[in-house]
Amino acid sequence: MPVFKLSLKIFRKNWVAVSIYIFIFLGIAIAISANSVPEKSIGFSQEKAKVALISEEKTPLTDGFQKELSKSAVLIKLPDQTEKLQDALFFRKVTYILRIPKGFTQSVLSGGSMQMKKTVVPNSVDNAYVDLSVDQYWNLARIYAKHEPGISQQQLVNQLKTNLSGSTPVTIKAHEQAKTANSFSMYYFNFLAYTLSAALIMGVSTLMVVMNKRDIKRRNFCSPLRASSINGQLILANLLFALSAWAILILFCFILDSKSFGTQNMVYFLINSLLFTGSMTSLSYLIGNLMKNLNAMSAVCNVLTLGPCFISGVFVPQEFLNDTVLKIASFTPTYWYVQANTRIAKLTQFGWPELSPIIQSMALLLAFGAAFITVSLVVGKRKNLMNE
Amino acid sequence: MFAHIFLYRFKCLIRDRQLVFWTLVFPILLGTFFYMAFFNLNNDETFHPIDAAVVNNHAYQHDAQFKFVIEHISKGKKRLFNLKVASTQKEADSWLKTNKVKGYFTNGETLRLTVQESGLEQSIMKRFADQYRTDSSAIKSIAKENPKALQNGLLSDLGKQQSYVKEISGGSAKPNNVLNYFYSLIAMACLYGSFWGMKEVTDIQADVSARAARVNIAPVHKLKAFIAGSMAALLILFSEILVLLAYLHFGLSIDFGPRTGYVVLTALLGSMLGVSFGAFISALVKKGEGLKVAILLVISMVGSFLSGMMFLNMKYIIAQYVPLLSWVNPVNLLTDAFYALYYYDSLHRYTLNMTMMVFFILLFCGGTYLIVRRRKYASL
Repeated sequence: MPVFKLSLKIFRKNWVAVSIYIFIFLGIAIAISANSVPEKSIGFSQEKAKVALISEEKTPLTDGFQKELSKSAVLIKLPDQTEKLQDALFFRKVTYILRIPKGFTQSVLSGGSMQMKKTVVPNSVDNAYVDLSVDQYWNLARIYAKHEPGISQQQLVNQLKTNLSGSTPVTIKAHEQAKTANSFSMYYFNFLAYTLSAALIMGVSTLMVVMNKRDIKRRNFCSPLRASSINGQLILANLLFALSAWAILILFCFILDSKSFGTQNMVYFLINSLLFTGSMTSLSYLIGNLMKNLNAMSAVCNVLTLGPCFISGVFVPQEFLNDTVLKIASFTPTYWYVQANTRIAKLTQFGWPELSPIIQSMALLLAFGAAFITVSLVVGKRKNLMNE
Repeated sequence: MFAHIFLYRFKCLIRDRQLVFWTLVFPILLGTFFYMAFFNLNNDETFHPIDAAVVNNHAYQHDAQFKFVIEHISKGKKRLFNLKVASTQKEADSWLKTNKVKGYFTNGETLRLTVQESGLEQSIMKRFADQYRTDSSAIKSIAKENPKALQNGLLSDLGKQQSYVKEISGGSAKPNNVLNYFYSLIAMACLYGSFWGMKEVTDIQADVSARAARVNIAPVHKLKAFIAGSMAALLILFSEILVLLAYLHFGLSIDFGPRTGYVVLTALLGSMLGVSFGAFISALVKKGEGLKVAILLVISMVGSFLSGMMFLNMKYIIAQYVPLLSWVNPVNLLTDAFYALYYYDSLHRYTLNMTMMVFFILLFCGGTYLIVRRRKYASL
């Protein structure tokens, strides 16, 4: 199979360009697996906002307040410099900066109206959350000071501490959660869309562009091989390349997150990614037939991989995307791939009602693949006729 | 003669469609993708009243105080909850299951909260319940110590919640962190401009390209030819960056702060930095074009990564733990200059960034000059 052999040779020559994408991808995947998969805790856990507390006075009450605040906030120490504080707020190192001015305690105790100053991300949830705790503490202090005039600051702090120590019992009525929900595998498979598209376009399209060069094509057709054999070998080589790219990437997922591999969800992840590989391979085949030379290869590859990935929820989850954007995205296979993935990750039951939307997305992936192939056959035929 | 060389270099450069793609079309496309992807990101942070329910059981009907407090907090523009009253526990459960509410309160001997999962909104609900419990316990302990307090308006004082915090803005601009993606994108576009500089140097060194050999034969001072060519490259890059800025600002309404003049100045320095950087690397690296391209690409991509183009917090992490790196990374200098212009009221940090850029530009230009000057070719 000389054509097949030649194809493999071209793939090998092209290995560096393809592997760059794979290595970048693995770097990012490892970074994700290292930091973002939170352990699911059993029972209710109180969320904590990130607060920078700057106190210009130190009284028993401000100390007590700080302790109380740390129940609903992580207190982050920052140097008291405007730009440093602004930076921290911009990059969300903190979401709430609270400054207690000098004389504040005295003012509260004597019923004054002095206020603390906060700098926040405007209208944020964290803002509302921290405000609740802050206002309650000082309001209680004010009421104690008014109705128990003789109370000392230390007594007041102790009193508040007892009052604030109770905790509302919380019942969690969770329904069953899939092991793969929000797991590393879900992120991995979503992100896979980027790498697979890039690798396939780089590999398959490059091969097709080279093989379609007029001289090489003519040389091939005057050999004693039937055209169908040449094309068959080419398709075989492309499929082999696509399958090995898929297999290599899946192998890494297995190494990085072996826990999810025993689950039934994984079977569907694999089917879905395989179908995606199929539709991207045929897209790459089409691109290879449309492009005349390799100069614009990396431009086309970048635009066609980055674009759909950005708007279909590979880099930013679909729930954060605007509806119009998603409508545009639904014209790309990537969108349906990500949609199926997200659904698969949450599956706990595998009956028809749960599976049917997933199968629908998968069917669309197949349809995309078939459409790309059809177009490229038509284009290829036309080109052949024009050449002769 | 200068004008002639300038004009022809300009024509020659602008016909390089690949370079125009990478320095103009690609950043515009990427900016559009960023915009589509990050458009809604900050809305997620915004507080919306929480959908909550309370079970209308015996205890709730008879606890006038709790009823008052929870209804009070669910009213008005600044309300905490969108409160629904469930007639039975079962109804509340079904609401919870279908995600109509984030959680519900059940009043009884103690106030209880039922939720589906832990989260910020659920924590706020719990905080509210805690607060209610605390207030009742405070009333009890005050009344015990000082029975007269109840007659002295203790309850009405409790009802009059005073706000002890006042919001002040840290600066005149909002901390809209998505902007940093676009700032680093512009910085990346400037650094991609280094390919123009690279082309300039390639086309002036007679041992590197045929076109350079032809140029060197002409009786024109090499420096003059080089400066004319570089000016053409700079003009192209600067115009491209201006187009990009205009698209981002008018097309995608990206905010650059009120100081437009400085923004344009930054774009100019950024373009100069890009061209001179490319020229310098191209002059420094003697081996093949592939290597030059690879070095330029790696430096601009790693630089963009470190200034937060792929992962926002990277810029902050670097500034905190490896501050030196953020001052020698040209992409970060540019990103930070745009950031400082938008976010800070004072121009201190902006000036620092610009000074560092000028220093780099001088270094790259000087370096290129020293390497390229006085080259004579005995044979080619």
